[in-house]
Amino acid sequence: MDRRAFFKKGLGASVVVGAVLAGKYQNLFAAPYAANDLPFDLVAVKGGEPDVMLKKGMEAFGGIGKFVKKGQKVVVKPNIGWDVTPERGGNTNPKLVAEIVRQCRTAGASEVYVFDHTCDNWQRCYKNSGIESAVKDAGGKIAPGHTEGYYHEISIPTGKSITSAKEHELLLSSDVFINVPILKNHGGTRLTITMKNQMGNVWDRGTWHRTDLHQCIADYATYRKPTLNIVDAYYVMKQNGPRGVSVEDVVTMKSLLISTDMVAIDTASAKLFGIDPADVRYIQIAADQKVGRMDLENLRIKRLNV
Amino acid sequence: MQWLKRIRIVVAIIFFLALTLLFLDFGNVIPIEIHTFFVSTQLVPSFMRTLVVLSSASFGLFFVLIITVLFGRVYCSTLCPLGILQDIVIRIAKRMNRRRRFIYKEQHYILHYSLFVLTGILAFSGSVILLNLFEPFSNYGRILSNLMSPFIVLANNMFGYILGLFGFMFLFQIPILHINPVSVLASLCILALVTYLSYNHGRLFCNLLCPAGAFLGLLSRFSFFKIVIDKNNCKECGLCERVCKANCIKSSSMEIDFAACIGCFNCLDACPTIGMSYQGRWTKLSDTSKETDGGRRNVLRISVLPALGLLMPVIGVDSAVGRSQNGFNENRKHPISPPGSLGVGRFSTLCTACHLCISSCPTQVLLPSFLEYGIAGVFQPKMNYDASYCNYDCVLCSQVCPTGAILPLDISSKKEIQIGKAQFIKDDCIVVSKKKDCGACSEHCPTKAVTMVPYEKKLMIPEVNNEICVGCGACEHACPVQPNKAIYVSANQIHQKAKKPQSKKAEPSFDSSQEFPF
Repeated sequence: MDRRAFFKKGLGASVVVGAVLAGKYQNLFAAPYAANDLPFDLVAVKGGEPDVMLKKGMEAFGGIGKFVKKGQKVVVKPNIGWDVTPERGGNTNPKLVAEIVRQCRTAGASEVYVFDHTCDNWQRCYKNSGIESAVKDAGGKIAPGHTEGYYHEISIPTGKSITSAKEHELLLSSDVFINVPILKNHGGTRLTITMKNQMGNVWDRGTWHRTDLHQCIADYATYRKPTLNIVDAYYVMKQNGPRGVSVEDVVTMKSLLISTDMVAIDTASAKLFGIDPADVRYIQIAADQKVGRMDLENLRIKRLNV
Repeated sequence: MQWLKRIRIVVAIIFFLALTLLFLDFGNVIPIEIHTFFVSTQLVPSFMRTLVVLSSASFGLFFVLIITVLFGRVYCSTLCPLGILQDIVIRIAKRMNRRRRFIYKEQHYILHYSLFVLTGILAFSGSVILLNLFEPFSNYGRILSNLMSPFIVLANNMFGYILGLFGFMFLFQIPILHINPVSVLASLCILALVTYLSYNHGRLFCNLLCPAGAFLGLLSRFSFFKIVIDKNNCKECGLCERVCKANCIKSSSMEIDFAACIGCFNCLDACPTIGMSYQGRWTKLSDTSKETDGGRRNVLRISVLPALGLLMPVIGVDSAVGRSQNGFNENRKHPISPPGSLGVGRFSTLCTACHLCISSCPTQVLLPSFLEYGIAGVFQPKMNYDASYCNYDCVLCSQVCPTGAILPLDISSKKEIQIGKAQFIKDDCIVVSKKKDCGACSEHCPTKAVTMVPYEKKLMIPEVNNEICVGCGACEHACPVQPNKAIYVSANQIHQKAKKPQSKKAEPSFDSSQEFPF
């Protein structure tokens, strides 16, 4: 359905040049809520299974219905970057992804798509991460993202290092975008959380690596702000990230964070991981570019135990 | 005797379709056991594989030898995909011109067996060039994977795109990364040659160029069942000769050159009387079988040579490996051969370039080479890290390889094979040249042979530990530096052992019994 929808929408704008066309989509994710409608800026849950923690966390926000309305098309973007099993902590926990899909469906979402632009072979990643079967069982659809044809040019007027990118068509045609990274160590950027996970939204990652990775991550974050961010910190890869070598790299933290603010949730996640958020350059840059707030002390944070 | 031809056609269709699908199965849905079953019946690959590693797949070789000794060269008309392809062309040729008929021709035994002996000698001394060029299974494989597979993929992508517009997503886009234009051109030439020969001369390829045909011809001379003409009942109508694709029936003198017979049984089908039969040895042969003409005697003489060649394998292969291990110039930039091939030298002496591994590889890291392995190794697959990299947990190529050029591996032993070593060119790295973080190489490394270590300011820079590098090429593929990558894999001429990556248990910094640190 996504592509038909995309082309329908694209048809209207097809007379306009690509950049303008992309500009039109920037308001597509107009949040269905006003930020201060929400009771909290950040909800942190610990001590339970991923699905149980999500239920508890979403209740604190007043249910996923705050973000997903009946009939809306939802796209969920977990980290499915690597051909590794769930306990290796390389990909988002399949139980969490399944629970998100289930809740969206219950809230009346017409379709729930799940995809990632993987690093390892996509079919092996989808299968061995356990996410493909989990999504299907939960009533969602797993979508491919492995060839350039699925990605379309968008412009990032607020970008400093990059001013355009090619973004997956599902993002361009959906009403709700839920970003579901797993918290883990990353050799190049120190940590991968919500903003870094969004590298899986786009095609041309080589350019980012070549240009200035931290700045590019922040640049894209100024353009694409997810409806909701959910950080999986159940299994956390502390070293050898982002792919990891064995289960030795993983510690069990049994935690989950939820926020609409990528900078806030990345800041909290970095602290949870045990490093100073200011040492992760893209978080600082994104905060400076007003993507979100690093001053956790001034935010309304709900801490929950399961 | 019409049922013989019918059985032949049914078996031929099954094998032709199965072998064709194996090469077009880009989704890898066909189970490996089915791969092994059909591929093991292919004479030359199975023969090579048996010399290299005796496995259940060798069953196919013995099966082919036994049926040939019993029934003649039925292999050529039932199991050989290139043979069946020729039969299809011949059928079309017949449709185009109903008056087309075959006539007896003196077989080119001297040429054929000279070529066969040369092929054998070269193969056992380490150069598979002639096998590579004329071996039927490999040629058929190359025709499919180079010429047909791209079109199937394109069709898939087009249908997938159109279906996608209507919301059906089950056909996904497949990139085509494994195309080498030279290999495509060569496959086109072979296809043209085979088509031309079969269109105009029946099964001339099989009786002039094919090494499998030559070898089976030697066996079929002594086969238990043979097609014979019963002089008492033959009406000399010549119908058998007209339908003989191998041009081996001389109806005027009622002789059949059974060594050239490819066992299609068209003659038995065509014979309007009982003048022709398929007889076992016990049946008293009528005076038909006086086999003396110069050509044949020559052949018998020549065929002693290949027989000697067959005695060479034990010494031959070993010395071939030894020779080619030292046969390369160390200063040249070498191609990287897939894990399980043990080394570039051994690989290039055993691979007949059928491209089954190329069509099976899920990451499409395998690409037909051109002259990288030397002239003898033309079109043999090499690792192509521009397009992709070798998946750490995949051993598919080793499981499908028909010749044993890539030995079967299990996943844990594959992880200990080092096919090359990562070489880091520090000055070209983004971190040094632009003073920016990157880490794409280390990110993709499955063993963390490439790690990020502190550099100036707060930057992190790659560092390579070659002891645990497997040479998969993930780092090279991911490196964003243009045009020359700042990290690449240099080939291990002889594959080495990679140490297992050791990592200490990660230090927990937080567990759920503590309060959140924010």
